[in-house]
Amino acid sequence: MTETVPPAASPLAIRGLTVRYGRVVALAGVSLAVPPGAVYALLGRNGAGKSSLVRCLLGEQKPAEGEALLFGASAWKVRARAMPRLGVVPEEPDAPPEMTAAALSSFFARLYPSWDAEAVMDRMRRFAVPERVPFGSLSKGQKGMLQLSLALGSHPDALVLDDPTLGLDPVARRAFFEELVGELADRGTTVFLTTHDLAGVEGMATHVAILREGRLVLDEELEALKARFRRIRYANEITEERTEYGKELDAFDAVRVKVRGWGVEATVSNFNDDAFASFAATEGVVDAESEALSLEEIFVAVAGGEK
Amino acid sequence: MQRALRVDPRDATPIWRQIEEGIRRLVASGALAPGSGVPSVRELAADLRVNPATVAKAYQRLSEAGVLAVRRGEGTFVAANPPALSRGERSRELADGAVRYASLAVTLGAGRENALDEVRAAFRRLAPTRKGDEP
Repeated sequence: MTETVPPAASPLAIRGLTVRYGRVVALAGVSLAVPPGAVYALLGRNGAGKSSLVRCLLGEQKPAEGEALLFGASAWKVRARAMPRLGVVPEEPDAPPEMTAAALSSFFARLYPSWDAEAVMDRMRRFAVPERVPFGSLSKGQKGMLQLSLALGSHPDALVLDDPTLGLDPVARRAFFEELVGELADRGTTVFLTTHDLAGVEGMATHVAILREGRLVLDEELEALKARFRRIRYANEITEERTEYGKELDAFDAVRVKVRGWGVEATVSNFNDDAFASFAATEGVVDAESEALSLEEIFVAVAGGEK
Repeated sequence: MQRALRVDPRDATPIWRQIEEGIRRLVASGALAPGSGVPSVRELAADLRVNPATVAKAYQRLSEAGVLAVRRGEGTFVAANPPALSRGERSRELADGAVRYASLAVTLGAGRENALDEVRAAFRRLAPTRKGDEP
């Protein structure tokens, strides 16, 4: 990945970030910039370095090299000052187990001048999160919705969500994403999230990045990503004029090719309509068709086992 | 409207375009009458679980095309005189649908006459026969 200088306007950015644990390199010179108003989804398999990246972004961890930038300033240095402008939903619920929802809200109200206690209480009522039950006794779904309510409590400019729907049931997941949609509609908040729930973020993410073994192997707009990753199916026919097989996919940068009984199925990373039209008209290429891939399929193709 | 409007996030067609075309179709077919209200950006985004900016982009394009009209403070409505589908668009949609139906018929092993009879029957169920509907 070449070093890119993030535009000054990026609320959240990372420059040449390297994190080591002893001899293990968790992140190797990662750079990225989240444009204002974007919903930026960082994907990666377990152990790819997502958690280290989030900890650096939140100023909780000092990187070996490079820096994470919150609103243009080093996250490690401005953490406390930046917090009121930043809403966070951590991977592991981190509130003290004995504190009730109401107590948590008034605790944050003292820290953040812009705290909107009414909006927080309103959300919790809507999600049926009991106000007087200790945090430790809430269900997983209730904890998730409480965390989101608190994260939105200061009307933040940016949200960092670390696998926020992990362990939530489908109903709670849906409620979570609907609430996030409402926040985006009302305030256009910039969102950075890590997730394994690819279907859940597919309609919402504007940008997708994939971490693999501590490096960013992909970072682009979701629309462009979906246009270039497609599946192509066709059959090869032996003809007198055609003597060469196996090169017909060259223009598309196939990432995976399977030869099946009825023909060939290829996942390609560089699809375009014109090239496909001439491919489909190639002598001996029969019944060529192409179809879109889900974000999950793209993720598997990029981050999956083979190198 | 939400039930008749579907988006498939897995489709490579950008979601804003799916929404734009879906609403155009609903308006052109009369399912959304001129002057009737459409959901707010926020409602539709929550319902389809897509980014509100995506819905806003579709609504903006539809407003510019004169299909939707925004009344400040009141909401978004279907325009009083929305433009009809162009002849080219209509025949393309018809041709696409016909190819899909014809391949289904072939897959099922149905004969051509059998398949055409089903189309005629479907027209009869949809609306009372008018002159011109019969081939």
